[in-house]
Amino acid sequence: MPACFLLFFLASLMACGCAATGGPTQAGRDALLLKYRAATEHMRLSEFAQAKPLLDDAITTLGGISSGDAAARKARGYFRSESTKSFRGEPYERVMAYYYRGILYWMDGEPDNARACFRSAQLQDADAEQGGYQADYAILDYLDGLVTTKLGGEASDALARARANARLGSLPDFDPQANVLVFFEMGQGPTKYSAGQYSEQLRFRQGTARSTSIQLKVGNQVVRASPADDLSFQATTRGGRQMDYVLANKAVFKGTTDSFGNAAILSGAILAGTSGRRSAVDEVGAGLLVAGLLSKVISAATTPSADTRMWDNLPNLVGFAALRVPAGEQRILAEFLDASGRVVLSREVTLAIIPGTRDTVLFLSDRH
Amino acid sequence: MYRPVARHLATLTLVLAAALASGCASHGVRNPSGNGVTVMKADEQGFVAGTGVESQDIVSVSDKMARSILETPQIQRAQGQPRVVLLPIENNTRFAINKDILLTRVRARLNSQTRGKVLFLARERMAALEKEQQLKQSGQVTSASDPNVVEFQGADFFLTGRLDGSTTKSARGVSDYVLYTFQLIDVRTSAIIWEDMAEIKKQGLDDAAYR
Repeated sequence: MPACFLLFFLASLMACGCAATGGPTQAGRDALLLKYRAATEHMRLSEFAQAKPLLDDAITTLGGISSGDAAARKARGYFRSESTKSFRGEPYERVMAYYYRGILYWMDGEPDNARACFRSAQLQDADAEQGGYQADYAILDYLDGLVTTKLGGEASDALARARANARLGSLPDFDPQANVLVFFEMGQGPTKYSAGQYSEQLRFRQGTARSTSIQLKVGNQVVRASPADDLSFQATTRGGRQMDYVLANKAVFKGTTDSFGNAAILSGAILAGTSGRRSAVDEVGAGLLVAGLLSKVISAATTPSADTRMWDNLPNLVGFAALRVPAGEQRILAEFLDASGRVVLSREVTLAIIPGTRDTVLFLSDRH
Repeated sequence: MYRPVARHLATLTLVLAAALASGCASHGVRNPSGNGVTVMKADEQGFVAGTGVESQDIVSVSDKMARSILETPQIQRAQGQPRVVLLPIENNTRFAINKDILLTRVRARLNSQTRGKVLFLARERMAALEKEQQLKQSGQVTSASDPNVVEFQGADFFLTGRLDGSTTKSARGVSDYVLYTFQLIDVRTSAIIWEDMAEIKKQGLDDAAYR
């Protein structure tokens, strides 16, 4: 029996030891997440030059095919949790990396590269389980079409797709002469949590936003715009992931090995306790105890928990407005309005509009 | 009867101890010894790959275009040096790219291979060139010729291009097709005197952990 205790001790050590290792590389696996968060902060502080390399890293990573990724392969194993894979984010998070980079490209006078980002962003959402929710960001199709129109192309199909997916308000016709493009965002985005007996199910809590529309005033011009997309909606309509099947299998395995362990330990204890020492029944009982313990150890080491790491400073609502602003120094007053039309937050920006040059791109958030 | 059980338990203990020692030793350490620096040719696919525009595509496409331009009769039989200005290409794919890189490589290929058969004008440097001319005109710097005479050359041809893409995504992966087209446009007549294309298709499937 001392061997049994030693066995139990070693098994516990194995389970505990394995759970604690991997620390030094977790930072690496979270690197993209940290870049996402930092990029958002820089965007809100108008530190676009700092946001750019972070987002470039992000979209370079997202653009690569992850096939053969050792961390991802391990995360699918029974004994590693999903969070040991390198973070890339769920589709709504990946979409935002491309979306932000697209805004910066447009700022830099490269609307075609911006369009490329908006298209790649839309593709990130193409995996939604139900067809109606696949690639259904209204703003991305709208911006794709606007760039195409500005570059002299025809984009009525993109506008039709955008309008079909616009759930929060109507989208205006494209104005290729618009020279001030306002990207705005509101509120706190969705948050992740895990559910299920073993936390194996990834769930989302709806985000919140105090402001629900924006009003832009330039000279005598007043433009009111509603957000085009709701990230909470996008996060919750994605449907099942391939990884969910993996986690469900892990959960079944964990539950089965745990139940078997309980049954074997109980049976073994009864058998060992009801017969004489050194009898065959006693030996079978001891064997069952050992098998039960092993099964419990395996169950304890199985980690079906869903990855709840998240890009936690995303907005809940994103939108866009295009204005025609005369040349010269112009002051734009942006007012974030709540559902009743009251001003929640106002912001004044001075722009120098130079005729014949690139579009002036404005990024506004109600978070800073 | 008790001894065999004890022996089995001892064996099992040893197995677990071995698993503890070997299994967990490298746990969480991905590729512990790292990857040494690998020098690769620009025209070969590395071990880091996506379905977008990559170095091997840029090399193969720009090489093909440079060869094709040289075979154009208007270039081959041109009297004097045809003067060419690069116009930025339009990216109509889903991949954000450095748009200058393709034309820059075509230009470098042509300059290095033809040794003056085609003359490229540095229009992207006009701001600096104009500033230099102003310095000369104001007498702040010396000038080898009359600085008031405009000597900036006009173009005979514009070299430009366009990237178009088509993407398909399904449960079996993502497929990206990119069509590269380049044109040489006669600035006097607006005629497209040369056009060529290259096309590349790539497919891949992400790990299930990311799907």
